[in-house]
Amino acid sequence: MNHALTIYWRLLGVQLRSQLQYRLAFFFDVVAMSSTIFLEFASLALVFQRFETLGGWTLGEVAFLYGLEELSFGIMDMVFSGFDPSYFGQEIRRGSFDQLLLRPLNLTMQVFGSKFVLRRLGKIGMGLAVFLYAQTLITVTWTPAKLLYLPFVVFGMVCFFGGLFIAGATITFWTVESIEVMNIFTYGGGYLIAHPMHIYQTWLRRLFTYVVPAIFLNYYPALYFLNKPDPFNFPAIAPFVAPLVGILALLASLAFWHFGIRFYQSTGN
Amino acid sequence: MITVQNLQKHFKLNKQYRGAWGSVRTLFSREYEVVKAVDDISFEVARGELVGYLGPNGAGKSTTIKMLTGLLVPSGGELAVNGRLPWRDRQAYVARIGAVFGQRTTLWWDLPVIESLELLQHIYHVPNGRFRQNLADFETMLELKPFLNTPVRSLSLGQRMRADLCAALLHDPDLLFLDEPTIGLDVVAKERIRQFIRHVNRERGTTVLLTTHDLSDVQKLCDRVLIIDRGKLLYDGSLDALQTRFGGRRELVVDLAEPYSDVSVAGATVVARENGRVTYQFTREEIGASELIGRLSQRFRIQDLAVREPDIEATVRRIYEERLLEN
Amino acid sequence: MRVFWEMTKRSFQRYLTYRAAALAGLATNFFFGLLRMAILLALYGERPQVAGLTVADVITYSALSQALIGYLSIFGWYDLMNSVYTGEIGSDLLKPLGLMRFWLAQDVGRALVNFLLRGVLIMVAFELVVDLVYPQTAVSWLHVLCTLILGWLVSFGFRFLVNLASFWSPDARGMGRFAFLSATFFCGQLMPIRFFPDWLQGWLQFTPFPAMFNTTIEIYLGTLTGTAVYLALLNQLLWAIGLLLVGQWVLQTAVRRLVIQGG
Repeated sequence: MNHALTIYWRLLGVQLRSQLQYRLAFFFDVVAMSSTIFLEFASLALVFQRFETLGGWTLGEVAFLYGLEELSFGIMDMVFSGFDPSYFGQEIRRGSFDQLLLRPLNLTMQVFGSKFVLRRLGKIGMGLAVFLYAQTLITVTWTPAKLLYLPFVVFGMVCFFGGLFIAGATITFWTVESIEVMNIFTYGGGYLIAHPMHIYQTWLRRLFTYVVPAIFLNYYPALYFLNKPDPFNFPAIAPFVAPLVGILALLASLAFWHFGIRFYQSTGN
Repeated sequence: MITVQNLQKHFKLNKQYRGAWGSVRTLFSREYEVVKAVDDISFEVARGELVGYLGPNGAGKSTTIKMLTGLLVPSGGELAVNGRLPWRDRQAYVARIGAVFGQRTTLWWDLPVIESLELLQHIYHVPNGRFRQNLADFETMLELKPFLNTPVRSLSLGQRMRADLCAALLHDPDLLFLDEPTIGLDVVAKERIRQFIRHVNRERGTTVLLTTHDLSDVQKLCDRVLIIDRGKLLYDGSLDALQTRFGGRRELVVDLAEPYSDVSVAGATVVARENGRVTYQFTREEIGASELIGRLSQRFRIQDLAVREPDIEATVRRIYEERLLEN
Repeated sequence: MRVFWEMTKRSFQRYLTYRAAALAGLATNFFFGLLRMAILLALYGERPQVAGLTVADVITYSALSQALIGYLSIFGWYDLMNSVYTGEIGSDLLKPLGLMRFWLAQDVGRALVNFLLRGVLIMVAFELVVDLVYPQTAVSWLHVLCTLILGWLVSFGFRFLVNLASFWSPDARGMGRFAFLSATFFCGQLMPIRFFPDWLQGWLQFTPFPAMFNTTIEIYLGTLTGTAVYLALLNQLLWAIGLLLVGQWVLQTAVRRLVIQGG
């Protein structure tokens, strides 16, 4: 385990160095990455003066939700780059995954170390900026408990979406091409929980409550941070299950991943 | 070293439907056909052997190699390497083997060669002294020095192959798998790699299993070849014996000193005649070369002669195409 | 002209073979459309109408903003760039059509396939789940047809110009990504331009971006009426001509440079 971790850091080092080789290109990539978030959020922020609220939430409150989600998704997108289904599908096609099987190292760790998209820092930075911008618009009554819980919320989202990436990557053992529907859950799910959940059609909200429990990742914690009442009358514990939901999703995906590897070893490519 | 008994690998292929909704139908269809990629093959390889593994495309070669390297789990039969089941304990097993798949590299694209090698040193737990020693050896034999500090992406194919060979051997594996190690290389580069493989096999005692399309690789390196086609092992023996059995007709080209009207001779047929030069064809079974030459020299005055052995390349191609080994 | 149509036909058939990829994107576009609708409806709250757009209008807007992504290549188009980097441009230069008309023909095929497979199908899907508005008269449909074609021409002119940067810089891709991203925002694909603050709307008037997408939406929804429609179409036409002329001029400079320097 210790050895695997040491190698992971070395593999990360390889990734970072090769990405920083072309400083200017890297810089532009980071800027482009953060602009995506910036422009998308700006389009919402700019129309707020005409509308004042989004389903009763002020711009500051939406920014809180939005920033927290983008920050977490960005971290996930960077750490789990190796499992990005479209990238991983390519690795299967090229046979690069076989090369990983030939090394005497834990496979999962190797996939983590096979790609680390540093330019996602742009996304993470902009997510953080939007989150901080929210603090200038609204006064959040921060308590030590809230501050302590905040990193766990980020952790929950990173695990949850990381789990979706792993599940998507595992599916490519069967399909080779990454399947488009996964994007609905990953990118679509991210966009979905970046906005207050009570604005969605009932069926959509239920889908993302009971089938894919994404509502507990960001919305419920935000209700707690912002001292807002729960419109759906869930038990009072609801805001605090985010890390649990994330970990469970990740564990389930890892189980599926190991099942997928066994399938791959019985059929090959 | 390697024991393979009644090894099988069968794939279930879903029936493919064509057309716009074909992919959807394929997904839900339960019909499939079984493809026997490797069908009941047995062989053994002893420590220190250098064996060539041949067969036309799609014969089951790479499926066998994938099972031997632990990438694929067999669907039947037995397979043990050094008493280990390759797929059972993957990490422990692959730590003791080396593999070079000609078309792909195990090195890191953006890293200088030396740093890739150092990374592999850590991955395989190679002690420092041993690493230095091996690197020094391989550096000279493979002439790695000029490009040790070059990123892998800027290497030529031949350089990359040499670096990959070095990478596969740094941890002193007992067994080395080489898949098309000379593909796409020029004659000089091929020769250098062959010399290296021979050296590793003879001096280090590494057992080598070589798959290749280039028969001169096999001719120059392997004492023993296995031939597989359609999942069946068709031949296990020396290349020479194969040649004797199936090698087409030998040819004797004779330059006659005087014009003769009748140049025929018993035991051989005349296939070409041009001015004073006559080409005879004969088979090993019917007559030896020296005897034929003796018969000719009794009847004619000979200026010059040459015996042409049939091309091994052509022989093996004929074996594949005409399925000579199947009964 | 016959060569042009031949090229278009071939491009159409070529893109038709990629239909699986085009259809695969449908589900994602549909999903994002639903989310956009929910966000706009939540912004509206109890208001029946904001800045001249009714609730039904913004629902239709959300649907169209997804339906036209493929048709207008809103998220980016790098084909010309790629042909410059791979060197294929050399053989394209020898084609009997001018380079711009060659790519225009290619893009007609691409746009048509995307319009039919992605655009129309997405609208049908939305029609099944929400209430969309449609132009009421034959004349309005004619206007929509014109503005769709002109919007595509403006978008092509812009995309062509962005791609030409590859003649000068080996890293035009990053620049392009940035340009297309900004265009998504400025053309009104993320939010109707009417909702933006007045100062921004004022600035955008002087750019070609609204003519790519927003104008088409406004004409479709009927928020522009009477002479305003014709002025908007004229505005689109002028932007299209302007961009294509600039593109042609830049292209000539680029090709001259390519020929002189030998690439």
